[in-house]
Amino acid sequence: MNQAGQSETRVTLTAAQRRRCRRIMRDFHVRAFGEELARINFLPEKRRKQAVAEMIDHARSKGVKLTRPALGVTP
Amino acid sequence: MMGDHGDMVPYAELESFFSGLVATAQSRGITCAITSGMACVHFGVAATTKDCDVLCDAAKSDDFRALIAGTLLRGLSPNYRGHLSPPLDARWMRGGWTSHFTWRTKPEETCLDIFGIAPRGSSPWDRQLHGIYACPNVVAEMKRTNREKDWPFATALGGQMLEEGDLEGWLHLHDADILRRFMKHPAPTERLMGLRPLLGLAPFTDTLRVKRLLLAERAFWSELDELRIRIYQKHLRPYVSAVRRASSGRRDLEVAESHALRLECALEHLPFHPLRDYGLEQMVAEAKANVGVTVGADVVEWLPAAEYNFDGL
Repeated sequence: MNQAGQSETRVTLTAAQRRRCRRIMRDFHVRAFGEELARINFLPEKRRKQAVAEMIDHARSKGVKLTRPALGVTP
Repeated sequence: MMGDHGDMVPYAELESFFSGLVATAQSRGITCAITSGMACVHFGVAATTKDCDVLCDAAKSDDFRALIAGTLLRGLSPNYRGHLSPPLDARWMRGGWTSHFTWRTKPEETCLDIFGIAPRGSSPWDRQLHGIYACPNVVAEMKRTNREKDWPFATALGGQMLEEGDLEGWLHLHDADILRRFMKHPAPTERLMGLRPLLGLAPFTDTLRVKRLLLAERAFWSELDELRIRIYQKHLRPYVSAVRRASSGRRDLEVAESHALRLECALEHLPFHPLRDYGLEQMVAEAKANVGVTVGADVVEWLPAAEYNFDGL
């Protein structure tokens, strides 16, 4: 189920189409998040999560506050 | 100063802790799912978050609260976070309120936000779970906020959905270049164009027009989010004072004790369904009117209907 209760709209992509999607999104990640985060985002899951953990812990160890205020409502 | 952080709970431990909490909840029949930042990390869009947002079936609020209350992190019991958190109770969860919990780890607390309704969700989030995570479609809808930083996450998730053959991803591309480049992909369907009129501009070669309408869309969702938050916060002010008084300023009450007094305060000060009371159509109309002023009256007809984006309310 998806928007307005409709069934999902799924198509099967060719390998070439998938590669093309990946290229487009890699370019976007570089532009939106920067080279380093883009590199991390395209790593295999285990290495990606490890890299994110290292990045977050490094920031926290330098005093970066990552906790959001409690608002009673989620933005 | 590094010594101050010697006891810092590493992110990997936090992720494992929250994953375990949600997996345990699911194993006990509590429908719930991790969303927002940690879900983005799981789906391949790195987010700098160490805390966790969880969607929970409102009907299971009592069970989830009991599970949280009994879950220790490094030997610490949780507390409700601050005086502001509404009670984790089905009546308020169904109205879109968020409950906050914290484990008082050092040097930073470990925080958990729980909500029963996915903001801007267009379909039941609990029918589209990816294991312990909400699905990318729900996470992307939740990223249509009034915070600039959230929008690239939505686009990244939308692109990923398209890469996996899910055409609903077209609803989440908020970038003119990406829209144009994806035109060699299977095109958006009529139904998707109905939900998002901007998709009618395919193949998106009129770049300036596409950019302007993207700005308008973003302004619309931002206005809607600001209005939504304002409606909730109006009711929270007297509630916070009441909770502070009732708890004598203590923030370390056990969950059960704090919950009981929060219930009393909430019954007096927090309406169950503030958005519905305000009027969902009214909210959409106001947000569109504001965009008509800030961007231009001609763009209003291109804005999403948004009538489906209040699922569960």
